[in-house]
Amino acid sequence: MYPRWLWSGFALPGVIWLILLFIIPFYAVIGVAFGTVDPILFRPIPSWNPLDWNVGWMSQTLTRLEPGGDLWDVFVRTTEYVVISVGASLAIGYPVAYYIARHARRTKALLLVLLILPLWISYLMRMLAWVNLLEVDGYVNRFLMWSHVINQPYGWLDGKPVTVVFALIYGYIPYFILPLFAALDRIDQSHLEAARDLGASPLQAFLRVTLPLSKTGILGGCVLIALPMFGDYYTPNIVSGAPTTSMLGNQIDLYFHGTSQPTIGAALTILLSLFLVVLMGYYIWTVHRATKELAST
Amino acid sequence: MTVATAHAAPPKPSTWTRVRGWVGNPWGRPRFLVGFTWLYMAWSIIPALIAIQFSFNSGRSRTIWSGFSTRWYWGDVDSVWSDADLHHALIQSIKLAVLDVAIATPLGVLLALGLARWRGRGAGVSNFIMLFPLVTPEIVMGVSLLLVFTHVFTFIQPSTTAQVLGHVTFSISYVVVVVRGRLFSIGRQYEEAAADLGASPAVALYRVLLPLLMPAIVASIAIVFALSIDDFVISYWLSCGAGCDTVPIQIYAATRAAPLPSTNAIATILSALTLASIIIGYLGYRFFTRHERAGGGLVGDMAAFDV
Amino acid sequence: MAGEVTLVDLVKKFGDLAAVDGINLEMPSGEFFSMLGPSGCGKTTTLRMIAGFEQPTEGRILLDGDDMAYTPPHKRNVNTVFQSYALFPHLNVADNVAFGLKRQKVGKREIRERVAETLELVQLTGFERRKPAQMSGGQQQRVALARALVLKPAVLLLDEPLGALDAKLRKALQLELKALQQQVGITFIYVTHDQEEALTMSDRIAVMADGRVEQVAPPREVYEEPSTVFVADFLGVSNLMDAEAVGGANICRLRLGDFELDATRGKTDARGSVRVTIRPERVHLEPQDSTGQNRIPGMVQRLVYLGNSVQVIVHLAVGNTIQALVQNVGTEIPWKQGTAVQAHLPADALRVLEDTGAALAPLDENAVPA
Repeated sequence: MYPRWLWSGFALPGVIWLILLFIIPFYAVIGVAFGTVDPILFRPIPSWNPLDWNVGWMSQTLTRLEPGGDLWDVFVRTTEYVVISVGASLAIGYPVAYYIARHARRTKALLLVLLILPLWISYLMRMLAWVNLLEVDGYVNRFLMWSHVINQPYGWLDGKPVTVVFALIYGYIPYFILPLFAALDRIDQSHLEAARDLGASPLQAFLRVTLPLSKTGILGGCVLIALPMFGDYYTPNIVSGAPTTSMLGNQIDLYFHGTSQPTIGAALTILLSLFLVVLMGYYIWTVHRATKELAST
Repeated sequence: MTVATAHAAPPKPSTWTRVRGWVGNPWGRPRFLVGFTWLYMAWSIIPALIAIQFSFNSGRSRTIWSGFSTRWYWGDVDSVWSDADLHHALIQSIKLAVLDVAIATPLGVLLALGLARWRGRGAGVSNFIMLFPLVTPEIVMGVSLLLVFTHVFTFIQPSTTAQVLGHVTFSISYVVVVVRGRLFSIGRQYEEAAADLGASPAVALYRVLLPLLMPAIVASIAIVFALSIDDFVISYWLSCGAGCDTVPIQIYAATRAAPLPSTNAIATILSALTLASIIIGYLGYRFFTRHERAGGGLVGDMAAFDV
Repeated sequence: MAGEVTLVDLVKKFGDLAAVDGINLEMPSGEFFSMLGPSGCGKTTTLRMIAGFEQPTEGRILLDGDDMAYTPPHKRNVNTVFQSYALFPHLNVADNVAFGLKRQKVGKREIRERVAETLELVQLTGFERRKPAQMSGGQQQRVALARALVLKPAVLLLDEPLGALDAKLRKALQLELKALQQQVGITFIYVTHDQEEALTMSDRIAVMADGRVEQVAPPREVYEEPSTVFVADFLGVSNLMDAEAVGGANICRLRLGDFELDATRGKTDARGSVRVTIRPERVHLEPQDSTGQNRIPGMVQRLVYLGNSVQVIVHLAVGNTIQALVQNVGTEIPWKQGTAVQAHLPADALRVLEDTGAALAPLDENAVPA
């Protein structure tokens, strides 16, 4: 009933926009990373033709990323922070999501609103809130001294990895809980009732029914927060600011806004993207497999 | 079991069993989980509330409370109202958000319609391209946009224009996802009914599909506005300096540098704007779907966002 | 008179799959015409092609002689009642019904009059301001009807409109729809998978399978004189049996195992392997010692009491199991489980069928027919 060209015509403006301002910029990064640097002005000269690509800067960056190089430590540190943060998010987030999805009845609506609320309070405000609390004379120190856990105010904001990891967890956990909640909410109660009916204890019903069925939700949540976390630079800057807690994102930021070496920054961005693509690919592959399993049952 | 035992009272459960039952009752309310969840909610929200409280501090500290005052909003020379930088940042944030909504919403709605119904070669690729911004880390987008504006589209340097273009680029995909969900639940039936009754394709789109899409359009406006106002990374990478600074950038700079409650104040204003946007969007969604409800409620509405 | 639809060599392919594989149908004006068949038989696709939502791969769709296969749906003088009703949720009943009239630029007063008239026709006067979400399924269905009828189309298409309603309401609405059609006088083209529905309402039925028409005939003929295996099996219990035929002019001599039977109905000139059918109410059960032509000994396997009748499942000596239906006339039935009987299959009740190869529903010999 509609002319054939209508829908592709509708899609065209958006697609063109995305090609111009999303796809082409990726190529700009590649062009700069594989380009040369003007020796006098120290400005990057991008190479658009793949045949003109200068691998020098890229291989230099790669070398620094190998074990022993100075970027390797940053990479390891970033991975540690992300793994710990994601793990903690899972440990904290799963019970919360589980409760809201499966047990809260009258309070479910209210809890859902509270769950979503942090997403709409600016991320920076939430970080600001904790910076205030973690100041030398902030509430956290005052409480810890009042309860005699420590005798002197602790410099939480003086380049402490603990603070950075804590901030990462605090910042990203709402994005983790939401898809996990959705996955748990979708699980049919009758599956659990069947398990109990067939003799499983509550713990067994959880381990053998709920947990496996929520696997995709868990994985989805993990990937959803791990990907941006790898590129995060503002969180360490806000709660720490010291080079000892610097993450990969900080390095990229420095090469653009610090020492003005965009070529290295671009190279690092590409390497980070490739690494994340592998992560994403793994996620898509697992989801694809899980969907096939579900379809065949 | 002997006859004697059968008549005796059943043995009382041990204390351990009773405690475990109280804690781990699967059909009752699992008290550990309840407590844990509310604890999480408190941990999640109270710090922000404290920050908001301190924006009304009558002293200059963000950590020591000296009484209630609105000096950091207006009155004091460093207040949001008086401080030129803060003032300008607020206006810049709103400007970017409004422009973002104005451009991304039509583009996104059209793209959603197109992708949902396009049956040709290129539909799959276009869909893939649309999904990409949703999973790309912001720093990668920030770097790529910065480099494209400094080396390719050099007629647009990092500037307000660049920031708007960047915002729209990540916003389109959100509009598509929200509108597509609604489109999927509507189906083709209403447009077919309209055509069957004599409506030309244009009338079917305008008088039947568009009103039915309004809830999703309103919701995506609210979401895009909120995302844009809260955006830090893209605005930062495409900033031209002080003239392009948005509120998140100001907060970022001020948090470590010159801590005054005015930072709290502007952050509070920002959060209030975001929340207002979401609430208006939600109410708008409910208003435009009022015909379709026999019952419903909040939890039912959440399902509409399953994408 | 207007409203005659003719389908000529109509084909619709989705990729390599032929949903409609060459059908020819004539639906005269003023008739209640049903397309009946299992899901996937192509009936809905055919209806959608008549409405204009699908374009045929080949063939013609004639409305009063004019081919409208390539006319867009909004220009056809044909209206549809959708399975899901598709009532516009943002409009009330009156605006829904008036929608088509507004497209035709009819004047406001005339719109009001015609809407009121049609709502009265479907017994929904007073519901003008209600929204669809506030109405029951049966009421919504009537709004959908009114919305289509108010435009006085030449043909009304109905896509399983009663599917979402409970059994009792469905029965009541079947009679209402039939009465409505006779009152309004326009052609109704009705799609359903429910054979009872089709038998109740239709003037003629087209039984379809695998994208093709198996038989087109009035209800009585389709039930009592099915021409193919599929039709016999789809409507009611068929008691299908395989036999060897040695053909004749009016009498077909059949060999069923060790027994010879005569059949005078159906494809009596057939030769070789054939399939035969007999309706359960025509199977006559006689005592074990009864003799005569067309009788096969068997044993009563089961009895199913249906209230107004009793189903007797008999296992025949030739290996088949057939169903006999014995009317409840107040006396006790002499056959008990395990009794030996003679099944008399009267020659004028046995039909020799043509097998078109259409896939039948999976057989369950012990199933009680719906």
